[in-house]
Amino acid sequence: MSDWIKRFLPFISLIVLCALIAVLEPRFLSAGNLASVARQTAVITIMAMGMTMVMVAGGIDLSVGSIMALAGVVGALAMVAGVPVVGGIAIAMLAGASLGMINGAAVASLGIPAFIVTLGAMGIYRGSVLLLTGGNAVVGLPQSFGYLAEGHFLGLLPIPLLIVIIVAVLIHFLLAQTQLGRYCYAIGSNVEAARYAGVRVARNQIVYYSILGGLTGLAGAIESARLVTGQPTAGEGYELRVIAAVVIGGGSLSGGQGSVMGTIIGALIMGVLANGANLLGISSFTQQIVIGAVIVMAVTFDEFQRRRLESSEA
Amino acid sequence: MTNSVPALEMRGISKSFAGNTVLSEVDLTAASGSVLALVGENGAGKSTLMKILAGVHQPDEGEIAIDGRVMEFRGPRDALACGVAMIYQELSLAPHLTVAENIFLGREPLRSKAGGIVDHRKMEAEARRILEEYGFRLNPRTRVGRLSAADRQLVEITRAIVEARRVIVMDEPTSSLTSQEVEELFRLIRDLKSRGLAIIYISHRLEELPSIADRLLILRDGRSVYDGRWGELSTDEMIRHMAGRELKEIFPPRTAEIGGVRLRVKGLSRRPLFDDIGFEARAGEVVGIAGLAGAGRTEVVEAIYGAHPPDEGEVWVDDRQISPSRPSVSVRRGLSLLTEDRKRTGLCLNLAISRNLTLANIKSLVRGLRVDRRRERDAARNYIEKLHIQPPQPGKAVGRLSGGNQQKVLLGRWLYADTKVFLLDEPTRGVDVAARSEIYKAINELAESGAAVVMVSSDLPELLGMADRIIVMRRGRMVVELTASKTSQEEIVRYAAFEQ
Repeated sequence: MSDWIKRFLPFISLIVLCALIAVLEPRFLSAGNLASVARQTAVITIMAMGMTMVMVAGGIDLSVGSIMALAGVVGALAMVAGVPVVGGIAIAMLAGASLGMINGAAVASLGIPAFIVTLGAMGIYRGSVLLLTGGNAVVGLPQSFGYLAEGHFLGLLPIPLLIVIIVAVLIHFLLAQTQLGRYCYAIGSNVEAARYAGVRVARNQIVYYSILGGLTGLAGAIESARLVTGQPTAGEGYELRVIAAVVIGGGSLSGGQGSVMGTIIGALIMGVLANGANLLGISSFTQQIVIGAVIVMAVTFDEFQRRRLESSEA
Repeated sequence: MTNSVPALEMRGISKSFAGNTVLSEVDLTAASGSVLALVGENGAGKSTLMKILAGVHQPDEGEIAIDGRVMEFRGPRDALACGVAMIYQELSLAPHLTVAENIFLGREPLRSKAGGIVDHRKMEAEARRILEEYGFRLNPRTRVGRLSAADRQLVEITRAIVEARRVIVMDEPTSSLTSQEVEELFRLIRDLKSRGLAIIYISHRLEELPSIADRLLILRDGRSVYDGRWGELSTDEMIRHMAGRELKEIFPPRTAEIGGVRLRVKGLSRRPLFDDIGFEARAGEVVGIAGLAGAGRTEVVEAIYGAHPPDEGEVWVDDRQISPSRPSVSVRRGLSLLTEDRKRTGLCLNLAISRNLTLANIKSLVRGLRVDRRRERDAARNYIEKLHIQPPQPGKAVGRLSGGNQQKVLLGRWLYADTKVFLLDEPTRGVDVAARSEIYKAINELAESGAAVVMVSSDLPELLGMADRIIVMRRGRMVVELTASKTSQEEIVRYAAFEQ
C-alpha cells in the first residue's frame, strides 16, 4: 500500500495542483499557456533526466548549470566560426559529455564526496566560460538555430518538447532495461555490495556522469537557441532546480531510487507552480519560498518512507 | 575493601534474539579487588553478557546487583551511573577530538554550572595528571585520529578508568598492544585491583591470563560451564570446557570425487593482518578455515578475492595466475566471495530479490542491449525454489526478508554466477536451523558439481561436519592443517587459542 502511495504521490500532487490553479485561473488550461509551460520546463527536464541516472547511482552533480553555460558557449562559438547548426549542437553535447566525464572520473578516483567535487567543478567551469568569453555573450548565431527552441515538429509539437520525449524514452530504456541501469540501482543502493558482486563501479559512474553532461550540453544548446546568443551566465541556479525535480519525483539523495517518469512529474510540478503563480500574480519572491518548502516536504516524505522500510527489516 | 558482598553479581541472566537463545541462566560474580577472566569460543555469549552489564541490551530474565543492591540498567547511562565502565573491542573514540576531550567526553569540567562553558585548562590538567599517574606517554592535546591503534586503546582504557568506580570490563584489551604495552596494562590492572575495583577481563589469548586472573568463568553456547578459582583447571580441562559445543545439525553426506587443484594460494601476506598464507583447494573439496575472532580469516579470503588486495603472494585459479586487485576481475576469473557482512558488503537491501540474485551475472541475461526480464524472473524463481527462499516473490525487497532468507539470496547470487571457486565467509552466521540445512545442502551440491569451496567458520561442529580439511589460523598465521575426519573440536581450539 505504501509502495503504491510512494509511486503515485508525485503524480497525484501534480493533478491536484493543476486542478487547483485551473479553478482559480481558467487561462491556465489554454493551449498556448500549456505549451509555454512545456517549453519553459524542457531545459530543466532534459538535465533532470540525466541527473536521475547520477542520483539513482548515489551521486550528484552540482556543476550542471556551469556545464550548460560552457557547453552552450562552445557550441555557439563553433557555429559563429562556420560550423553548421547540427554540428554546433553536436559539439555542445560533446563538450558537455567531456565535462561530465571529468566529473565522473574525479568522483570515482578521488574518494571525495560527489557533492564537494562537483561544487568545485561548478566554480571551475563557470570561471572558464567567463574567461573564454570575457564575460560577453556570443552573438551572430545563424537564424536557423532558433528553430531548436522556437520551432514546431509537423507544425504542432514544440521542438524542445519533442526532444524531452525522445530523451525520456532513451533514459527510461537505459535505466529500466539495460545492464547499465541495473548497475545504476545496485551502486546507489549499496556501493560496497555492488563492488563485491564484481560490478565495475568507477567505470559505470563515469558513464552516468558523461550521459548527464551530454544531456546538459544539449540543454545548453536549446538555451542558446532560445536566447539566440551564447550566454556565459546561462544556467545559474539551474542545478538546484534540476536536483529538486529529481527529488520531488521520488528520487532519493542517498541513491537507489528514482525514475524518469517521476522526474518528469517533478519538473512539471515546479514548472506548473511557477506558471500558476505568475498567472495568479504571486511574486517570484514568494514562489521561491513555496518551491523551497515543496522540496523539503518531498525529501521528508522520502526519509519517512525509508525509515519505515528499515524498521520493518528488524 | 574486601567485604562479603561482591561488587557485582549477575544472577540467572537469559537473553534471546528473534527466538535464538544467546544466554541462558548465566551467573557471574566479580569481587572487589579481583580479576575475573571470562573465556569462551566465538559466539559463546561473552559479548552479549557484557552488553547486558553495560546496559546496551536488557536481559529477558535475571538481575544485576551492584554491592548487593539490585539495579535495573535501561541504558548505558544507568550502568555508568553505577560505576560500571567498559573498554570495547571496537574502538569508540571521536577521532577529531583531543585525548583530553575524549577522556572527559560527556563529563567535561565546566567553568560555572550555569554557563556550560568547558574549562579546557582544568580538563587538560586533569587528563595530564591521570595519564602520568598510570605512566601513559600521551599528550592530552593530541587529536585522537593521529594516534596509533595502540595509543588509542590507551585513551580508551584511561577513559574507562576515569568512569569506573566499581566494575571495569576489558574486552580483548591487548589485541592491538605490543608486548611492552601489555606489561604496562597488567601493571595498571594490578593497581586497579589494589584500589578495590572488580575487573572482568575477556581474552582469547589464554596464555596471558595466568599473570593476572583470580577467578575463571567459562561460557559455552550461552551457558556457564565452569566457575571457579583460577588455577584449578589444567589447560586441557579448560579446552574441554570451551569446546564440545553441541551438535545441533545433521550434516548431509557428500559423495563428491576429489579432482585437480582449482585454487592455489602461495605466500599471501597483508601485514600485520596475516602473513605467509598458503594452501590448495581441489575440485569437489571443502576446505575449512578455523580460528578465533581477529585471527585474520576474513582478511585472508577478502585478499584472495581482491576486495582488499594483499601486499604480496600469489593466487592461482585452475593453473592460471590471477593478481587479486578488484572483485570485478576475480569474478571473471571464476572466484566468488560470500561475505560475512551481508548488510554492508553483500546485499542491496532496497532492491528486489531477483535483482540481488542476478547482480553478479547480469551479462548472461543480456540480449542485444536489453536485460531479458523473463529470463531474469525465471532465474530468480529457480533459485527461490531451490533454496526455499521465503516469501517466494522475486519482486520483494531483500531488506524485508529474515536474516536466513537474506543469506540464501546472497548464496543464490553466487550459485547463479556459476564460478569455479567459492570463498564462503561464515555462511551460516545469524541463520536459523532450517536455513542452515538448506545452505549445507547447497554447499555439498557445489562440491559435487566440481567446484572448490573454502569455508571460514566459527562454528566448529559445522566445520567438522562440512570440511574435508581444516586450516587453523592464529594471529594472522596458519598454525596447522588438520584432516576433518581425524580431528576434534578440542584439538582445533588448542591450536586456535594456545601458543604451541
